[in-house]
Amino acid sequence: MSDRVRDGRRADRVATGLFWALGLITVALLAFIILEIFGRGLTTALNPKFIFGKPEAIKNGGGVFPMIVSSLYLVVLTLIISLPISLGAAIYMSEYAKKGRVSGFIRFCLDSLATLPSIVFGLFGMALFVVYFRWSYCLMAGACTLAILDLPILLRGTEEALRLVPNSHREASMSLGASKWTTIRQVVVPGAMPGIITATILPIGRIVGESAAIIYTTGLFVRNIPVSPFDTAAPLAGYVWYAQTEGIQADYIKIVNGGAALLLIMVLVIYFLARYLGKRYQEKRLLGG
Amino acid sequence: MGFSKQATMRAIVLGDRDRYVRLVMFVCASISFLAILLIFLFILKESLPAIRQVGIPGLFFSTNWNPNIAKPNAGHYGMLAFTWGTIMTTFGAMIIAAPLGIGAAIFIDQVAPEKMGRVVRRGIELLAGIPSVVIGWFGIILLIPLINGLTGTAGYGVLAASLVLVVMALPTITTLSAETMKAIPIELKEASVAMGATRWQTIYKVLVPSAREGLIIATILGMGRAIGETMAVQMVIGNARQLTFSPFQRTSTLTSRIVTNMGEATGVFRSALFAQALMLLLLSVFLIICIRLVSRERKA
Repeated sequence: MSDRVRDGRRADRVATGLFWALGLITVALLAFIILEIFGRGLTTALNPKFIFGKPEAIKNGGGVFPMIVSSLYLVVLTLIISLPISLGAAIYMSEYAKKGRVSGFIRFCLDSLATLPSIVFGLFGMALFVVYFRWSYCLMAGACTLAILDLPILLRGTEEALRLVPNSHREASMSLGASKWTTIRQVVVPGAMPGIITATILPIGRIVGESAAIIYTTGLFVRNIPVSPFDTAAPLAGYVWYAQTEGIQADYIKIVNGGAALLLIMVLVIYFLARYLGKRYQEKRLLGG
Repeated sequence: MGFSKQATMRAIVLGDRDRYVRLVMFVCASISFLAILLIFLFILKESLPAIRQVGIPGLFFSTNWNPNIAKPNAGHYGMLAFTWGTIMTTFGAMIIAAPLGIGAAIFIDQVAPEKMGRVVRRGIELLAGIPSVVIGWFGIILLIPLINGLTGTAGYGVLAASLVLVVMALPTITTLSAETMKAIPIELKEASVAMGATRWQTIYKVLVPSAREGLIIATILGMGRAIGETMAVQMVIGNARQLTFSPFQRTSTLTSRIVTNMGEATGVFRSALFAQALMLLLLSVFLIICIRLVSRERKA
């Protein structure tokens, strides 16, 4: 064996070790973050008094129930606004648009939206919905802002799901005399539905975790559970930040620890739900169902 | 024949409905353009008072940030120190995140056994979903004491912010790099291995060069995440208003300064914060143009 080959082999072994190290570092980082956050906050997060309690502005022992309700309310409201729009846009992009200037331009706009910092969306939402429309801080303003923020990822996932529907299904429907719209409504969208559901769940995680875009649109602190979409609310992620940086509660560290762990639980549940549904969908596809 | 006339009418009506539906779908798709336009116009409109009153040099090219809460007109609103803070923390993060992310992508795609690769990929997807306040809190409870213990400085500052940004940018870089690596035709790899190259030689002589543009785009998009990250950075950077070149000093980024001051700002002060958002918008447009240039080079 020549020296060259032996050096090559040795370099290969070193490089392989290095790549293993890099791959393991990323996983270790994740595990480290999860364990650290849970280690400090899990007992608080699972305490019913914390989950279902009313928050306190100054005193100790406040809970976060209105914040959890706010977060979930915000998710529902955002999806009500953004799902029809992204479904319509995805149908246009996958079924109608020809490859050309118009669809290229729309894609450019979507890419630009996807790279804009969320704080820019937040300030925009404040300027338009809160101030210009005079809605004041409310769930609706936050939901409209987040609907725009999440449009690119929601659209991409939906469009991919639509494109996965085999062309033969469309052709079969058209050959039976169905119009394009009937084909889309009766064949393409139902066929893509499981994929669309999976594509919807991941953005939910983003809505739950988003804070920069909502603190100036929905609000930072409430004591009562928001009822109307035009009520001021305080989603959990924003409240955790508020408690950490500006809160004057003496036990703010407990609130932040518990709130962070609670957020992490919500995100994990959403992620594994998406994985589970995606997997079931794939199995169904393989079985031809 | 009455029958055929009816059928023709129905066909026409259906055709009309299809055209109508197409229009509705097109409107949905154009909302993305409308949103971009509205965002730009509103941010510009809100920052105009500051641009008019402070002037472009005093706003964008001055490091003197001295707001006056009671009398906003009497303050100084130079954002250069924060623009520099954004650039410095972002590059600091990229020094670690780019090699780590691309390396992890190569590990997933080329080196790891299939099961291990899947574990790492899932882990990174999950990392992308962790809320930024949680990452920021992790930085406060862990990174700050660590930096403080190792260097004797306060802990809060550029280094802590950069490390937090590594966590934020890593998933973007890894996921996109892995996608690029996967798209490389297998024949290239096979040819290289058939010539007797080791795996490492194949990776750095064949795979990485042919994926170059994709890896650059992945890194630029990771930079985009780092520039835009707000809450996590605001929690660990110290929020001072000084210009600094040291990784251990407190300073601010554009995003963290907006969040730090927005609650108390009125008048020109508030408008100057919107001008910082405008600056962020310009930075993202710059990144998008970079990406377009890189991908055009790939097509050519």
